[in-house]
Amino acid sequence: MPYTAEAFQNEFLALGATEVNAIITVTSSGSEGGRRTAGATEIIIVDASGSMQAEGRISAARQAAKAAVECIDDGVNFAIIAGVSTAQQLFPAPGQLAVSSPQTRADAVRSIDRLQASGGTAMGAWLLLAAQLFAQRPGDIAHAILLTDGDNGERHGYLEQVLDSIAGRFTCDCRGVGVNWKVSELRKIATALLGTVDIVAQPSGLTAAFEQMMTKAMGKTSADVQLKVWTPVNASVRFVKQVEPEVMDLTGKRTEDGPRAGRYPLGSWGAESRDYHVCIDVPAGAAGDEMLAARVSVVEGDTVHAQSLVRAVWTEDTVLSAKINRQVAHYTGQAELADAIQAGIEARKAGDDRTATIKFGRAAQLAHASGNKATEELLATVVDIEDAATGTVRLRRKVEAADEMALDTRSTKTVRVGRSQ
Amino acid sequence: MTMTDCASCADERAAGAAFCEACGRALGAPCPNCGIPGGVGEDGYCQNCGMLAGRPRDHIDIDCGEVAAAVTDRGRRHHRNEDAMWLAVRGGDVDVVVSDGVSASFDPDVASETAAGTAGALLAESPDVSAAILGAKRAVAELASTGDPRRATSNPACTIVVATVRGAEINIGWVGDSRAYWLPPEGPAEQLTEDDSWATHAIAMGADPIAAMQDPKAHAITAWLGADASPVLPRTGAFTVVGAGHLVLCSDGLWNYLPDPESFASTVRAHLHAGGTLISAARSLVEFANAAGGADNITVALIPVSSPAPAPDSSPATDSAPATDSAVDSAPATADEPVKE
Ligand SMILES: [Zn+2]
Ligand SMILES: [Zn+2]
Repeated sequence: MPYTAEAFQNEFLALGATEVNAIITVTSSGSEGGRRTAGATEIIIVDASGSMQAEGRISAARQAAKAAVECIDDGVNFAIIAGVSTAQQLFPAPGQLAVSSPQTRADAVRSIDRLQASGGTAMGAWLLLAAQLFAQRPGDIAHAILLTDGDNGERHGYLEQVLDSIAGRFTCDCRGVGVNWKVSELRKIATALLGTVDIVAQPSGLTAAFEQMMTKAMGKTSADVQLKVWTPVNASVRFVKQVEPEVMDLTGKRTEDGPRAGRYPLGSWGAESRDYHVCIDVPAGAAGDEMLAARVSVVEGDTVHAQSLVRAVWTEDTVLSAKINRQVAHYTGQAELADAIQAGIEARKAGDDRTATIKFGRAAQLAHASGNKATEELLATVVDIEDAATGTVRLRRKVEAADEMALDTRSTKTVRVGRSQ
Repeated sequence: MTMTDCASCADERAAGAAFCEACGRALGAPCPNCGIPGGVGEDGYCQNCGMLAGRPRDHIDIDCGEVAAAVTDRGRRHHRNEDAMWLAVRGGDVDVVVSDGVSASFDPDVASETAAGTAGALLAESPDVSAAILGAKRAVAELASTGDPRRATSNPACTIVVATVRGAEINIGWVGDSRAYWLPPEGPAEQLTEDDSWATHAIAMGADPIAAMQDPKAHAITAWLGADASPVLPRTGAFTVVGAGHLVLCSDGLWNYLPDPESFASTVRAHLHAGGTLISAARSLVEFANAAGGADNITVALIPVSSPAPAPDSSPATDSAPATDSAVDSAPATADEPVKE
């Protein structure tokens, strides 16, 4: 069994307490021999709207798409979509998937040369075509890369409607090139499709970004892993969040699975480790009572890969109940850090400098205290950190748009306890 | 709301049935908390309300008829029973051990169980209380380097009191503040052990007994079993009973509510007379401690002992002072030694 699930918590609750928190570390050594347990399909979606002509973006996007194609393993199915006002399949023939081989990859690279920038931006339509292509191979590890440089031009609400209909069908990593795209829009897509979002400020950075995403995708060996959470009667799940490598709220993605149990999608998995924060509301027990607050299992279809128990033990001993588990405290802080940064950016945009200063100050304090150096450095591009320990910061008058977008997209990135300190 | 479901296949039709209709498996015992039939799953938790159906160590009775009886109980305040006991009877021979885990250490329940089990098994081979305690000390010390890695930083630790009864001969040994008493038919009880505790030490050094017992450090123990224990030898005592009475071993969960020898004697005696059997007396003493607050785990063992030919004087005859055998007794802990609360 390649998966393990380990719970970190302080199971002791004060009398009357009803909130149970635990961090579940799920680790997989990957499938046996690193072989995929399912087929795999990759779709590359490249924005080919007119704006991509600027700053040599389209030629950089061509280079990046070619580099990504070269990373696709033999035998993996793939397709390339050119994104304009409609979705145009660039490779192979419309409605088809190619099987990766030296020959098909060379054909794909030649077809990428035909990619021209002209037209609008219709992300809903692009994603819908990708979903239709993925539907040909149910059960595959399905992954897409989406590159754009601007705002979605579709009618209001259409993208959300598409995302609702395709959520769970594939994972999608989103990248924005330049600074004229909206972080909130790509985050919406990445969140719905369990992917990542990031900025590639300079077109020259695209090739490395594409190679990195495709290499990571090729390391996935399982298609659709889920976290199953059982809770007792009169208890309820307050939230289930991925908290490492980055914060992602999974609470709303629950699908019911029998009495008092639900499944939360974790997407595809390779040899990796991720942490989840599970928070359960339970009815209060008496001193000495021990309750199973949640049984958390890592499942794939009907197979249970690993299981871990979240317990609640009520005690009058306040020395026991007052201790906050180190992992729970750490990730509660990391989630607050992401929220503080996003609230700070919102406030700054709205011209509310006072709130922005408070939020960024808190963020600087949390990033510093938890050893999240990457986030602390990103914060320093938006504010002058005078004293990280006390959260004393000053807003910078001139902030590069790319810096603020990088801070926004990477605000959800977390570090593990004690790491990088 | 679903009434219940099968622990194995989650079929809801199993409500009230002894077997699940869907998978045919026998359903577990009804849940003592919510009463759902078949509620308790294989892991001991109710499949409906999630409550642990019970920890085996929460309450244990050992009934050896007229020869001996012992009861251990979680009490009212603690979430688990960190006391452990051992009671072995071979004919009229009795071996008994009571151990109390140090709550501040990691896995104290494992420490006490290891101590009681190891000492008891050693006594079955040879009735040498000193050797039994030293064996238990080694076994508890080894726990620090096995199992959960958190044991290394706060090693499992516990007290121990051991007694053997061979006819009218009683041998005792102890480390910590779990006690042995001699209870004659009348008069105050005689404490056979001397606590390895801060208060006992302070009083011995001349402190005011009442003030010392009220000090927050009063119950901190100055000797224990565990990887971080000092190399103090167990203290021991040997007695020959003249007449008849009861040997009583207990953890502080009982004696905290009966601090002076008079109240201890009258209470234990009242319970011995009330129920008729030893086990009912041990159980009702535990109930007494629970009614008084049950602030700690409670363990009590009762062993009637009498000399073959009863004499008018029924106190244990000893060569030296009752609680100490000066030939083997080690020096009490000094004031600057570490303590455990
Ligand atoms: Zn129940
Ligand atoms: Zn105790």
